Amino acid sequence: MKGLRIALPGGALFESACSLLGAAGAARLDPARFDRELSIRDGDNVFVKVRPTDVPVYVEMGGCECGIVGKDILWETSRECYELADLKFGGCRLVLAAPRDSALARGVWPLSLRVATKYPVSARRFFAARSLNVVVVRLHGSVELAPLTGLADCVLDITATGRTLAANNLVEVAEAGTSTARLIANHAALKTRNESVGALAVALRRAVTERLAAGAA
Amino acid sequence: MTGLEALPSGAAFRGRADGFADYLVGPAAGRRLIADRFIETFEAWGYGFVVTPLIEPVGTIAAGVGGAQQSALFRFMDSDGALLALVGERTVSVARVVATQLHEGPFPLRLCYAGSVLRNRALNAGRRRESLQAGCELIGADGLAADAECIALAAAALERGGVEHIQVDVGHADFIPGLLDSAGLDATAREEVLAALARRDLVAVESALEATDAADAERRLLLAFPTLRGGREILDTAAGGLRGERPHRALQELAQLWDLLEAHAITDRVHLDLGAVRDWDYYTGPTFEVFSVDSGFALGSGGRYDTLLSRFGTPLPATGFVLHVDRCHDSIVRRAGALPAPTVLQVSWERDAHADALELARALRRKEVACACDLVAGGDGDVQVSSSGVRWSRGGHEERGSIGAAVTALTAGTP
Repeated sequence: MKGLRIALPGGALFESACSLLGAAGAARLDPARFDRELSIRDGDNVFVKVRPTDVPVYVEMGGCECGIVGKDILWETSRECYELADLKFGGCRLVLAAPRDSALARGVWPLSLRVATKYPVSARRFFAARSLNVVVVRLHGSVELAPLTGLADCVLDITATGRTLAANNLVEVAEAGTSTARLIANHAALKTRNESVGALAVALRRAVTERLAAGAA
Repeated sequence: MTGLEALPSGAAFRGRADGFADYLVGPAAGRRLIADRFIETFEAWGYGFVVTPLIEPVGTIAAGVGGAQQSALFRFMDSDGALLALVGERTVSVARVVATQLHEGPFPLRLCYAGSVLRNRALNAGRRRESLQAGCELIGADGLAADAECIALAAAALERGGVEHIQVDVGHADFIPGLLDSAGLDATAREEVLAALARRDLVAVESALEATDAADAERRLLLAFPTLRGGREILDTAAGGLRGERPHRALQELAQLWDLLEAHAITDRVHLDLGAVRDWDYYTGPTFEVFSVDSGFALGSGGRYDTLLSRFGTPLPATGFVLHVDRCHDSIVRRAGALPAPTVLQVSWERDAHADALELARALRRKEVACACDLVAGGDGDVQVSSSGVRWSRGGHEERGSIGAAVTALTAGTP
């Protein structure tokens, strides 16, 4: 059993993850093939495409030795995985945003605040050290609608370009974190499959550095 | 037809809390067998078996374990208003027993235990809330020979329990904190790096170190964290260019420990792993974890905890470990399939031969052959008893004879 099982996140990070694995020489994966097959063998390794929130679950429980997943997913999970490398793609920021005409948008913080978010753990962490009376409303999608409908005063959400926020008349009030894709590994696999896991981490790190150098040149 | 409609549903299936398990005949026996073999091994090494309660006062537990473990306790109040909790581990209980009842020794004191521990964890996590743990504590011995004994015993018990391809990772709780001190990190940066390591977030370790002016040798070592593992040779690699007494002392202890493990003849299953510690507040010296390729979780872990007993008013050095019986069971089943359920001979009898059948059953049980005697006449068991004698089959052939002959034939090959 030399190969690794590697969980890849479906969605926004998927194609970049495949292309980085290609650049690292770790696997040649055609993203379109995953539309027909859920699990693809490449050389010794097996790649599975799962929902981003499921990547840490597969890795912690030992279903996969390694995974690629956004830091924003790791903020929210209680799963214990080793975070081995910052892969520096899929960048986005977690921001608190309020309607353009609100007091909050002018920097006036009300004493009590209703926050709609898909990131309740991060929201509680962000507000934990601040003396505000905050109610976190957990939603599963389209949080921008919450201020429009009066469900919440503001949103805590991920933004890559800021376009969705602007289109919904929201302005950024504060930044709560920045996220990029990470390589994660199972605790026991890091020990029992150290050479394979280490080689994957080294190859991916090298590919990331080369990409950044090429981008800067 | 899915067969689903045939399963009991509704009220008939209610009544078990989430995160807890029933173990039916085969798995329950397998799990008990593993625990029994662990304890037999502990006792063979001179460790005396003790039993501590499933419930301890929250104050007792809080004296021993950190905040994260305290917040994962099932707590409740008894009729006097005392705040109690179901134990989440049993080392603290053993420490309490030693401090209050065995503080006069004789030392070193070798104790072992096995029992349920409970963690109040999120549902849907796929993780057990009740698990069976067996462990050893070696109290009142401060030398590395005690640490080596615990590591060798943990490995021996796991192998005796049937776990294959084990691998022990040995580290030192003072190495990384010592390294951070000698790297000249200020308290904030030091806490940040330790917290990131505790979260297993090596990306955060890297960015925390980049923001400091840590000396190159130390930074190089800390960044190499996941690869700081191997045999005795990595200690020399790690020592190169390292300043400060603390990390050097940790490396020296690991070198001596390695030699002791060589004397225990287990270094073929041991890796030194300089980054292998998380619980820096609890452990004070060598630490270890045991893995198998068949499990994504550590099967056992332990180390030296010289400050715990003093929190109970009895400053004594101590080292010990715990083995996770359920994870071991999972790991064995994953490799070899379910453990065979114990075989039970069914003894049937014809009218007038009930007493003979019971006599045969008693004789078989004295020879430790498990058998169940039919409750009514005319059954179709492995052994047939009639007033004219006993019939049984062996190797596909039917044999006949007296009760004595049957016992001899059916116990052939058993001790």
